[in-house]
Order: sequence, then structure tokens, then C-alpha cells
Amino acid sequence: MSLRLAISLSVLVILGAPVAAQGFDHAKHRKVFAACTSCHRGVSEPGAAMYPDSASCASCHDGTVEKRVTWVPHAGPRHSNLRFSHERHVVAVAGHGEAPGCATCHAAAGAGWMNVGAATPERCLDCHRIRTAHLAAPDSACTVCHLPLAQAVALTTADVRTFPVPPSHRDPGFPGRLGHGALAQRPAASCATCHARDFCLQCHVDQPARPAIAALAPDPRSLAIAARQPPATHGTNFADRHAAPAAATAATCAGCHVRADCLDCHRPQAAAAPGYHPAGFLARHPAAAYARETSCSDCHNVGSFCATCHVAAGLVAKTTLRGGYHDARQFFVAGHGRAARQSLETCVGCHVERDCLTCHSAVGGRHINPHGPGFDAARMRRKNPEVCTACHGVVIPP
Amino acid sequence: MRLLPGIGLAAVTALAPTAVVGQGYRLRLDSRFQTVAFRGVVLDSIPAADTVTGPGGGPATPDGYAVECTGGSSYCTFFRPGPTWRGAPLSTTADLTAWGFGAAGLSLHLTSRLGFDLGNADAWPGTTPAVQLLVGYAEYARQRATVRLGRQVATSRLGYYGFDGAGVTLRDEGRGLELVAYGGWGLARGAAIPVTSPALNPLDDFQPRRRQLVAGATAGWTTTQVDVRADYLREVDPRSDYFVSERFGVEAAVRPYPGVHVEGGADYDLAAGWWGSAELSGGYAVSRLAASVGVRRYRPHFDLWTIWGAFSPVPYHAVHAEADGRVTAQLRLRARGERYTFDDADVATPLVQAERKGSRWELGATLEPKDGWLLDAGYHREYGPGAAAVGLDASATWAPPSRPYRVSVHGSSLDRPLEFRFSEAVVKVYGAEAEWTVSDRVRANVGLDRYSEQRRRPDAAAFDWNQWRLTSRVVLQFGRGADLSRLPPAVRGMPGGRAER
Repeated sequence: MSLRLAISLSVLVILGAPVAAQGFDHAKHRKVFAACTSCHRGVSEPGAAMYPDSASCASCHDGTVEKRVTWVPHAGPRHSNLRFSHERHVVAVAGHGEAPGCATCHAAAGAGWMNVGAATPERCLDCHRIRTAHLAAPDSACTVCHLPLAQAVALTTADVRTFPVPPSHRDPGFPGRLGHGALAQRPAASCATCHARDFCLQCHVDQPARPAIAALAPDPRSLAIAARQPPATHGTNFADRHAAPAAATAATCAGCHVRADCLDCHRPQAAAAPGYHPAGFLARHPAAAYARETSCSDCHNVGSFCATCHVAAGLVAKTTLRGGYHDARQFFVAGHGRAARQSLETCVGCHVERDCLTCHSAVGGRHINPHGPGFDAARMRRKNPEVCTACHGVVIPP
Repeated sequence: MRLLPGIGLAAVTALAPTAVVGQGYRLRLDSRFQTVAFRGVVLDSIPAADTVTGPGGGPATPDGYAVECTGGSSYCTFFRPGPTWRGAPLSTTADLTAWGFGAAGLSLHLTSRLGFDLGNADAWPGTTPAVQLLVGYAEYARQRATVRLGRQVATSRLGYYGFDGAGVTLRDEGRGLELVAYGGWGLARGAAIPVTSPALNPLDDFQPRRRQLVAGATAGWTTTQVDVRADYLREVDPRSDYFVSERFGVEAAVRPYPGVHVEGGADYDLAAGWWGSAELSGGYAVSRLAASVGVRRYRPHFDLWTIWGAFSPVPYHAVHAEADGRVTAQLRLRARGERYTFDDADVATPLVQAERKGSRWELGATLEPKDGWLLDAGYHREYGPGAAAVGLDASATWAPPSRPYRVSVHGSSLDRPLEFRFSEAVVKVYGAEAEWTVSDRVRANVGLDRYSEQRRRPDAAAFDWNQWRLTSRVVLQFGRGADLSRLPPAVRGMPGGRAER
């Protein structure tokens, strides 16, 4: 019984190792070997080699009996993150009084001798009574067969890159806080099977101390798995229209974005950060500024940003209004009211309050009333009467 | 002279991590340099009697500059070409995050910037003061609460507000609830300096004498299908105890089915007593197609320490739509359009007819003919009150897979007529840019653009944008515990050039 098991398990090793499987046609040699352990002694003998050496092949493939072959046994640890040990399974299975052999995992039912194939995860799941597809296994099941990535030292970065994606990760809600965020906080979370702290920090740069992240070991190989792609909702021009969703779902944004991403634009002197506006925007900014496609002053301080440049360029009017700049309209100063109420933020880029008070003041000016639709004098006076005194002096009308 | 404190700051910033951090830190130094040039205008005057009739039929100087004469005035004014300004802004931004000080959840965040102009004048905005602390705070974050102390930023639909103070976030992740409260001494809108700074007042306008006190709160509720968020913000002048601003905003997003989203929000100005901006949009987005339609309204907000709010700025209402779809594996098309109309300004201006309606739209295509190649072309057109712009732009980028460099060439043409000023010019821009990822920790960019103008004014008094513009950038990253060069793909792929980060 033990021998059969050993034989069966030895085939598992053979097929589990890419080099051996690619280099050796088992079915073609079915008449040569009577037992798996003829070549794979390590399955049943602790410390013995798992693969035959070159001399074993050369005993037949000597150039006379059979043509020579090049065979180099696989060296070093297997590229695997399996906890699987043939020795432990031999003992464990024997303890259960069962009698599986190598073919139990490595051959289809009824297959001929040495007509073997790679063991599939489904065989493992069957024995371990996990009744789902491999990648749909419950979160607590991964650790039954797999080591945490940080402990699977034989895996290369390239191996990690080819990890399959579980279907749960494709759920639209998975990238969010209530998706993977909630999952990561469960005690039995098996994120560590495929991921390490470095992977999380790709997005959660500012949150290394989060318990779920801190619980993972660091491992740069985990960076081989690219974090998710931009959500489909981002689409074109999302930078222009992200304000509402970003404010409403700030926690969701934080799943991928870090503070520095926002501060690239949402920061003082944002003009130093290219990216939001298209190339050459400076030349085209008058149109965008006049019509206020977005609120310029959310990112730019009118005084230090707009006016500084306009001062250098001569595009300012200090204290006294003079005609000249708005030269496409001969009487622009006299008829600027609509333009001003529509694009007041633009006017402020070149004009100061004193310019307007030249005419729009109840004290010393021409007493032209600037208040328009929606103006609530009583409310404004209640909130800040100093605004009123700029034009009305100390005598604020009731 | 101004270089010395900058070098000092850079040195301190670079050395600080090794001195103060515990288990880990990330530091990014981002230095940018560019050359810019433009020739502005200067105001001049001429006796009214000396003017002649210009080619446009209006008055002009004998040497051909269009002038503006005010009835009853003995002289007319006009703009002559001014001096050429050459700027060479150099800025370095240091972004530091450090953690592991012996208390789980405790971290330090710092973003500061050194900037100055190496040119012949302060032609580049925002270089004063040379050293600016954008944010600098300590954070203590646990699962249910986060506390921040120091200079920080609050961002909401009410805008961007920097302040020196404290902020607390409480959350119940099980129920998706979040409550944020913050307060402190405010910074100027869109700047890292107080409202009292002379740098914010180049025109010697009215200016507050004390920094405003800022206090705000946000409440949010998030589920898999619904997000709701409400914001309140007030600013108070501590000298007089009067309001500088007081606003309230609410917004919500609903995702009833996979790929379908509906979002909306509005804000109300409690100080002025009117609704500010608002929007409502709905869309459908899957991997090959994203489309949305919506309506919105925009009204600017002015603080009460200015008089601008008393001039009753009117809002505009807009309807917009956009679509972005992948036609084939290589080709992606995009289209976007918006029409808007300003509310009635309630002002009689028989002498000047100003546009009240406008529109803006753009079409574009992106083609990936083969691995590593990206071709993009777009057309945009804006027409509305004050100004218009019509332009074409195109670019070709070669970024061979698994190679550390990227090269692109681009060109654009822009016609930008103004409503209230003689048509300035058609500007053509063409140039090239290259990026080289030297290592995981070092990235460099260099670009060169040529701005070429075709003057369309009836005289010579206009801006002159003709110039060569050189841009360069070096990003250095330091840190422990994780790869530094790999930004989240979501960020690298973000539309709008964010990949350049």
C-alpha cells in the first residue's frame, strides 16, 4: 500500500515540475518502469533525490541501445507556493486508512500505466472537501494548500506575475472599501497567499500602518501583480468632472489614490503641476476663463497667480479705468454690465475693487447701483456689514 | 541670494528623513525648470486731436495703434508693445511621508515647495515667497478614527481650503458612516500663504488684516450602491467676528445597476442667500464604453471681505454629454459637448451687446497601431461670452514596452478670437518631449516647444507669444519598504496627462 502511494505521489512530483514534465515522456516509457520510485526515490525516501540523475538515463540512452539524450535533473527548490509534501501526505493518508496512489492525483480514472498528467487543484479540493472551483474557494481555504507569498521563497517575480485572478476580484465592487477593504479585515483573510505589503502600498501609500496592511509581510515580488486598472467610470475627461464623485465617495477614491495625487492640482500654486490642463493651455486660457468651464479659483489664487502675470503683461487697470484694452467695443466701459455679471471672476484677474468703486460707490463715486438679481442686502449686512461700508461708508441703507 | 535658502531647504528636506523617521519613509523630490517668454503691453495716451482714422475705421495713433477715446476727454488711451519678459522658473517640491515612530498609526506628512525665477523679472506667478509649506501635519490613524494636526487641506465640493489646525475623522465602516470635523487658521484660497500676505496683493487692493478662522464639518454615508455626503464650511474674521463665508453643500451618487451611475449635488451660500453651483448627471460605463449626460449650473463664490459678491454674479445653466468608446482593440474615439446659457443679468447695456450663450465641444481619437505606439488627435471648439477658441492638436508617442524611455512629438493650432478685444492671433505650437526612467528612483523629462504666432490685429499692439519653451524635470524618490517607481495603474492611466506624474 505504501509503495503504491509512493509510486503515485512520485508521479505527482514529476508532473509538478516543469523541467521534468517537458523533458520526459512518461507514456512512452511505460514498458520500462515498473514503479514510480524507480526514478523518484525522494517521494518515499527522506533525503533521496526526487529526480533521476543523468547517468540513469544514459544506462539506456548510451548512443548504442538508444540515442543519446540530454537530461539534467531539476535543481533547486520547486517554483511553487504549495504546502504539499509527499512525505506528509503519505503519512496523513495512511493514517486515514485510505489507499490512494500516484494515479489518484495524476491520472484520469481508468488510464493506463504511466499515462499520467499534472495534478489539478480540483483533486486537492475533492480530498479536502472544498466543494467549489479552485479560484472560487472560500477565503479561508487558500491556506490549506498554499503558503503565504512571503514564505514561498522559490517563486520568482515572473511566477507571481502569472497568478490567476479569482472571480471575486472581478466584481465591480471589489476594489472599494466595502469589497476588498472589508475582506482584508476578516481574521481568516488569505490575501497573503498572493499578496504582500508592497502590493498594498502601491495604492495605500499613506496608510502603511493600517492593521490589515501591516499584518502582511513585505515582499517586493508582490509588485509583479499590477494593481487594478482605472475604473470604467473614469473614461475621458474624468479629471474635469471628478469633483462630484470624488467628494461623494472620497473613501472609494482613497482605494487607489493618495494625497499627492490630489495635491498635484488641489494645492496652492497648482500651476506648477502639469497635467490637468492640456498642453499649450496658457495660450487658450482666455476662453476657458471667460466662460468658467471650471472654477479657476479653486486651484489658483487670483491675486498671486492671475494678477501677478497680468501685471507683468500690462493687463491691469489700477485705480482709474482707462479705455484701450477692450478695444473691439468702443463704449465698453459704458456697457460692461452684462459682461461683468457673467464673467466677474475674469474681471477680477485685471481689475481691483477700487476700479469699480470709481462709479459703483454711494460715497464719492457716481452712485451707480451694482446690485443685481438675487442680491439680499439685509442678509449680507447681517453676515458682514463691513462689505457694505466699502461703498456706503458708515451709513448703510436699511 | 534667494538661491541659498532654497539650497538649504532642499538639503534639510533631503536629510531629514534619515534623522527623524522610524521604520519607514517615502520622499519624492520633484524639480522642474522651464524657460518662458512673452512681450506684454504698456498703457500710453495721445491727445485726442492727434488721432487719425485707423484701418478699422476707428481712431488710431499716427503710427498705427488703435486708440480708445472717451467722450469729453481731451486724450485717448492705447496700448503699446511692452518689454519682453523672460522667465526661468525653477521649482522643487518635496513630498515626505514617514511612519513607524513607535506608535501604530502615527505618521508624518510634509509637502513643501521651493520656487524662484532665474529670469530677468518675476514673470512667473507664485514664486513669492520662495519657500512654501503646502501641507505639514502629523496623523494618528486607527480603524475608527483619524486625527490630523498641522497644516492640512480640506477638499470638498465647496472648494479647496488650507488651514493650520486640527481635523478629526470618525468612521463606522460597518455602516459606511463617516464624520469629519476640522478647524484652524485659514490660508488664502488656492495658496499656501495667509490672506494677509503682500504676495497676494500685487495690485494694492483691499486686503484683510487678520487671517480668517476656518471651521467645517462633513458627514458621509457610503454603501455599495449609494454615497451621500454633506458639507458645511464657515470662515470668520477674528478681528470683527463677521463672516467671511458660510456655505453648505450636499451631493449623492447612486449606482443602481453595474455600470450605471447617477450623481448630483448642490451648494448654497448662506452668507449671500443664493444657490451656488449644482449638477446632476447620469451615465453608463463598461470596459469598452463610457457615456454620460447631465445638466449643471455654475455660479462663482466670492468671500465677504471682497465686494464682488455685491455685484450679483449670475450663474449659467448647461447641458452636457460625453462618450468615450473603444471601437476596435486599437482605436478609441471620444466626443464631448456642452451648451450653456447665462441667467438674465438684469442690466441694460445698449452700447455693448454681449453674448449670453455659449458652447464647447471636442472630438478626438486615439490609435494604438502596434505595441509601444500611440497616436492621438483632437479638435476642440469653444464659443461664448468674452472669448472663443478653435483648435486642432495631435501627438505621436513611442514608448517601447519594457524600455525605460518614452518619446513624443506634438503639434497644435489655436485660433482665439476675443469678444471685447481685436482678435489677437493664431498660435501654433509644436514640439517634442522625452522621458527616461533612469532607475526605480530616478526619472527625468525634457521637452522643447516652439510657439509661433500669426498676428491678426489691425495694429501691432498685442501680446507676443513667439518663443522657444524649454521644460525639464527630474523626479527623485527615496524610501524604505516598498518599490517606489510603480505608481498605481489607476493613476498612471488616468486621462488628461496624469501619467506624467
